[in-house]
Amino acid sequence: MKNKIFKYFLVSTTAILLCSCSKKIDDVYQNPNAPTRVPVEALLPHIIASMAANAEGHGTMNDIRYVGAYVQNFQYAASLSVFDEMGYNNSDVAQSTWRMHYYDIGQNNVMMIRWAEEEKKWDYAGVGQAIFAWSWLTLVDYYGEVIVKEAFNTDQITFKYDTEETAYNLVRDLCFQSLENLNKTGDNVSQANLAKGDQYFYNGDAGKWKKFVYSVLARYYNHQSNKATYKADSVIYYANLAITNNADNAMVKFAATAISGTNSFFGTFRGNLAGASTASPTAIRQGAYIANLENGTNTAFSGEQDPRAWYLLRGNTAGTIKGILPNKGQIASLPIATDRPESFYGVSQNSTSVVNTIPSTDAACRFIFRNDAPFPIITASEVLFMKSEAAFRKGDKTLALQAYTQAIDQSFDMLSTTFNVNIPVGKEITAANKMAYMSSIVPGSVAGLNLTKIMLQKYIHMFAHGVLETWLDMRRYHYTDLDPLTGQQVYKDLVVPSGSDLFIDNAGKLVYRMRPRFNSEYVWNILELQRIGATTNDYHTKPLWVVTP
Amino acid sequence: MRKILLLMLLIGVGVFYTLPLMAQDKTISGIVTGTDGKPLADVTVMVKGTRAATKTNSSGSYTIMARSGQVLVFSYVNYGKTELTVGAGSQGDVKMTVASQQLDEVVVVAMDIKRNPKELGFSTQTVNGNELKESQNENFVNALQGRVAGLTVNQTGGAAGASSQIVLRGFNSLALDNSPLFVIDGVIADNSTLNETSNGGSQLGLASDRANRGNDYSNRISDINPNDIASITVLKGPEATALYGSQASSGAIIITTKKAKPNGKLGITYDNAFRIQKLTRLPEVMNAYSGGTNLVPAATFSAFGPRYTGEKIYDNLHNFFETGFSQTHNLSLEYGKKNTSFRFSGSVFDQQAAIPTNTYKRYNLRLSNSTKIGKYIEITPSISFINTVNDKPLRGASGYLLNLLAWPGNDDIRDWSTASGLKKPLFNANPNADLDNPFYNVYKNRSSDKTDRFLPSFGIDINPTKWLSLTGRFGYDTYKTVGYTQYDSMSFYLTRAQKGQQDNYYRNYYGYNHTINLTAKKTIGKFNGRLMVGNMWQDYEFQQWAVVGNNLKSYSNTDSNNTDPLTRVRLSNSTKNLPNYSIRRSAAYFGEASIGWNSAIFLSYSHRFEESSIFPKDFRKYNYPAASVSIIVSDLVPGLKGKILNFWKLRGSLATTARSSSPYANQSVFNNVTTSSGGGFAYAFNNNNLYLNPEKQKTFEVGTELRFNDNRVSVDATYYNTKNSNLIVEGFRSSYATGFVLNTLNVGANKNEGVEVALNIDLLKNSKFAWNTRFNFNKMWNKVTELPSNVPEFYQSDTWTYANARGGLVLGGATTTITSYGYARNNNGDLLISTTTGLPVLDNNFRVRGDRNPDFTLGWLNSMSYKNWKLSFLWDLKVGGDIFNATERYLTTIGKSVRTYDRAMPRVITGILQDGLENTATPTRNNISITPATNQSYYTTMPEEEFIQKDVNWFRLRDLSLNYTFGSNVTKSLKAVHSLSAFITVNDLVLITNYGGADPQVNGNTAGSRGVGGFGFDFGNLGTPISINLGLKASF
Repeated sequence: MKNKIFKYFLVSTTAILLCSCSKKIDDVYQNPNAPTRVPVEALLPHIIASMAANAEGHGTMNDIRYVGAYVQNFQYAASLSVFDEMGYNNSDVAQSTWRMHYYDIGQNNVMMIRWAEEEKKWDYAGVGQAIFAWSWLTLVDYYGEVIVKEAFNTDQITFKYDTEETAYNLVRDLCFQSLENLNKTGDNVSQANLAKGDQYFYNGDAGKWKKFVYSVLARYYNHQSNKATYKADSVIYYANLAITNNADNAMVKFAATAISGTNSFFGTFRGNLAGASTASPTAIRQGAYIANLENGTNTAFSGEQDPRAWYLLRGNTAGTIKGILPNKGQIASLPIATDRPESFYGVSQNSTSVVNTIPSTDAACRFIFRNDAPFPIITASEVLFMKSEAAFRKGDKTLALQAYTQAIDQSFDMLSTTFNVNIPVGKEITAANKMAYMSSIVPGSVAGLNLTKIMLQKYIHMFAHGVLETWLDMRRYHYTDLDPLTGQQVYKDLVVPSGSDLFIDNAGKLVYRMRPRFNSEYVWNILELQRIGATTNDYHTKPLWVVTP
Repeated sequence: MRKILLLMLLIGVGVFYTLPLMAQDKTISGIVTGTDGKPLADVTVMVKGTRAATKTNSSGSYTIMARSGQVLVFSYVNYGKTELTVGAGSQGDVKMTVASQQLDEVVVVAMDIKRNPKELGFSTQTVNGNELKESQNENFVNALQGRVAGLTVNQTGGAAGASSQIVLRGFNSLALDNSPLFVIDGVIADNSTLNETSNGGSQLGLASDRANRGNDYSNRISDINPNDIASITVLKGPEATALYGSQASSGAIIITTKKAKPNGKLGITYDNAFRIQKLTRLPEVMNAYSGGTNLVPAATFSAFGPRYTGEKIYDNLHNFFETGFSQTHNLSLEYGKKNTSFRFSGSVFDQQAAIPTNTYKRYNLRLSNSTKIGKYIEITPSISFINTVNDKPLRGASGYLLNLLAWPGNDDIRDWSTASGLKKPLFNANPNADLDNPFYNVYKNRSSDKTDRFLPSFGIDINPTKWLSLTGRFGYDTYKTVGYTQYDSMSFYLTRAQKGQQDNYYRNYYGYNHTINLTAKKTIGKFNGRLMVGNMWQDYEFQQWAVVGNNLKSYSNTDSNNTDPLTRVRLSNSTKNLPNYSIRRSAAYFGEASIGWNSAIFLSYSHRFEESSIFPKDFRKYNYPAASVSIIVSDLVPGLKGKILNFWKLRGSLATTARSSSPYANQSVFNNVTTSSGGGFAYAFNNNNLYLNPEKQKTFEVGTELRFNDNRVSVDATYYNTKNSNLIVEGFRSSYATGFVLNTLNVGANKNEGVEVALNIDLLKNSKFAWNTRFNFNKMWNKVTELPSNVPEFYQSDTWTYANARGGLVLGGATTTITSYGYARNNNGDLLISTTTGLPVLDNNFRVRGDRNPDFTLGWLNSMSYKNWKLSFLWDLKVGGDIFNATERYLTTIGKSVRTYDRAMPRVITGILQDGLENTATPTRNNISITPATNQSYYTTMPEEEFIQKDVNWFRLRDLSLNYTFGSNVTKSLKAVHSLSAFITVNDLVLITNYGGADPQVNGNTAGSRGVGGFGFDFGNLGTPISINLGLKASF
């Protein structure tokens, strides 16, 4: 009897234990302390912010401060900067693009796309793919060979680099996938819902996102101008579908509240333009090259004062627009104090030393150097310049001239609408001075058009915001390529650093790529870098695949 | 106290005094002999069921009064007990045999299962609870050091309530917890130490997310009252713990509590101890120079100014510390009858440490019962309550000690406050820019923890038949800890704008576990079989609220509302009004089959199936086997056992086990990004790998046990080899191509090997004098056998306590290495000297420059008795092992180290000039003379390598205890007192060491740090004080 009871007891106890355990175990698997899944609407804002510069300061704006020196948009206020010298820093300086793509956008976007597809929010999936297409292209043009196939594999610790072509192919594929998704309606696609995550970009307008994707495709084809497979027609085709009106400009906007991270990276609130160390030379001023293009000194546009100058650049006490020479610093470049341009925060440089003060407000700041200024990612003008260049290369000079004219027109309009803030009295763009300038710059017939005009007008338009794209343009023309038509440098009057002004590791060569991020790759993925030859001192001078025939 | 004692005596007299029965007694006498036929002295002879007892004399003879039919019980060390029923005559010769002892002896292994040690194929070591208690360590864990071969205790420091890291057989995991599992009467109890790191508030930790360096929190098993411990068995190898599952992969410490004897009597014992504590081991500092730079006087703590001339120099070091005082009172009551017994114990421990404001109080209550229900069932419920309060000063970089050492000799530290009681700055108008005076630091930067803990448990044993038994052990463990750390608004460790800072935390723990086992036994002929199947359920939940804030409203308020609400930072779940959680549940099923032949060969195989909530559903289940063999060679080979060799056992075991990560380590989480336009969420830095697997541990051990010469000499030797692979590393850097910055991955492997020898000798044994000596030898080797090729160095970030030295390790090196910056050398190994400065060229790379693992350790225990006197002492020898003396480096860089005394003497550093010829056949010897007094860079740029002291040895007298038992003449006069003894115990009286710092027993982190932790890092570590304990023990 006793034994029987015992047996029943045993059997029933075991049974109870067996069936309840698995459930109880599963109940506590999920991390209760922080979300492991969030709505896709909550993921998009940070992804968008990272395209410019997010609250942690990562995005293209961060790197533009350094690359601007390569393309002579900016030069360092003090002398001797490795970036003015087309060199690099063995650190994470000028390495934000790597982090932006792999981490800040990275898995957030991977998961946003995955979950959006699960939830049939095709618009979110399309936007995610559009952003990825853009960031892959930005990344590969910045670094050359990058990790593509193995990227975002969380179970790996070393990663193989792929060819640039692999990345380029991915960009194209992503664009088409994105368009497919953005074309979808029904299911859970909704402009109002997309606007929740997209408030600071296109506010939920999927049509504009499509134009953004077409613009990325235009860039994709345009970048291959040195290749035998270059298709000018494709550039023109996609440019026609892309952003061609300032109303469609792709811009990251800022809430600009009392929280610093909601303000523009270039504004005074965040004060990121005062780095006075040569290790991180972010105390930047306008370069002499851009200044001379604007003040009529450049022989390409001799004597023509550009009305856009006072929107883009800073004046000096003498009331003129001048810039700084690479690697010389503002004191040596402009010995007369009153010639020295104000800092982008509007601080006078008449003192005997460099003044990197960050004003308490942005009342004296212009253009994209204000706390609430939107930051352009792709503009109508840029697309039109791409179209113009492609048409010109194709030989359709009529189309080239037409697009060239539209591009300059859009460039003027963008400044006089979106960035019409804090312009000195009397320096505003007017219909008259715009007309006067354009009538001089825009040739009357196709015979007057050349690559120099197209590329230099694009260079002016892209100043400060389109630095990364300008860098690729200049690399496409190998900085000093000649315009076959004129026999002159395409980038006319551009003096590239040489001698002691060129970084010692360059061994006389110009910069063509950024070295992969130091604390990601040189420390933790070094074997692969050795394999691709990225450990040599002059790796950064190795021309990109896309700019070689 | 005397009153209590008197009260006890009165109770004893009033209630339990019984008159012995005298009728019909006769004298029995006889001679007791051993296996060899020789008489045995000092054998205890008792009349069963009475208090009558005597001992045999040197010729083995005894006389005792007893009646016919009564039973005489003979007991003797190593022989166990032999019984003799008194017959008609008066003759009582007895031959005692060793074999009888083997039947009696049991060892408690996993699951509260008692096993005959003969059967065990793995090494176990048991420490008697009284021995631990006599050592007077309030944290009983500390008393285990030296008493168990292969067990290392790394104490955080000499402060009251300090945590201790316990490691068995080396560090198996590089990044996870290496502490063993603690089991009390078959129930798992928590021994966590608060880990301050919260990873940005997403884990438990503090809201201020610290690195386990600046404060300390007790390791929770120190809550246990040493007086409740009957014995501790240490299971070192994973074979022994395979049945406990992944948590016991670093071994298990099995605590068996004291139980009442069912002898129908009320037994009361009371004992106390009064302790004074004195700090004698302090780092040396030099007070010859005033503040300044390169001999130029300046208002600074950096003592590179001119020599003091004629000024009063204060002995600040000795003016700071106090004489610590503590007292312990233990009371226990036992009562048991045939079917039920109770034991109640209570304890008070109250300590004022040698550091001002440092106190530790602990109250323990425990009630346990054992009741037989019917024929087959026995239940053993118990409940413990513990309350502890620990007020503790800060330690390490923000502690009082470094500032005390740095303090200028011409300033009296005792004069630390202004007239209004505020911080009196020495050099800076801004008090926050001035170092904290040590008194100011301990009085104004305060920290405290309070814990209330309940440990109820329930055991049931059902034995319906002789061959079948069912046992269940159910235990609940819960505590609430409330703690805070407050920095004064004027503290050096804050900016003025912060206006004080306060960290508060509220930590709740709810742990439940049970094991249910069914065992069947069967004997067929010479074969003995045993089959066990069982189930285990574990459910551990931590909840933690934590908040940090600034702008303190009041200096006396320590509640979290003391801070400015706008400055408060909390843990991640606070947005949902919830605490952060860490919950793990696991179910396990296991079986063990053993077979024995002729009590001489034993084979056993066990297998465990586990299901853990830490892993996702698809790979949540894993299992691992273990097997062991034990061969009693002396019983197997005829003629082997004899006069010299009494016993010889060979054993071997091998096992695989798994170790899981901490909960949620495989789930990447999103952070709130309210700081960005549009807000929302974004992934945190950590790639918490979904495909994480448990770490794998494979071990084998072989060993032997030998006993000689009537068991007077016994040796137990073990060699073990543990291979750990698939090691989980959390927060590991890798390419951002993962999509994250930090990663959690299965990477790397390591190996631990070791030899443990325990030697026990009864040196002397006669009726008056007995001397037993025991050696515990331990030697370990460890090696990192696998690290990913892209990882040049792996380090545990908590250990990066000061300057550029840390617990880093490299492939092929030991797991206990120190990596640091050092000197640059030429190919010949000579120091390179800069041609411009004449100072050494530095190699600013983290390279392996030291290994903390000792060459060997040896614990040497002695216990002697002479008549009523008993003396026991434990020497602890450590040979080898390096220490990074960060304290010395700090003192050198500020000119307070004794090594900077001769700074005025010009010198040429021995080395080779780095002039391009350094690696040629004709290098240039350095000839640049420098005078450090005017060139303090000589001291301030000395690399960390210079301060890694190699091969630090110690030989310390851990404890020395002298006990006197009052004779019957005294106890008889006290009537109710059954026995009375007095003792004196001295801790850490002698320390012989070659270490340059205060005390080589150092740990830069708390036991809350994971991986190898911070032992061997000395940064503001307080040495071990000398303690003298006096006390009385009485039983009624």
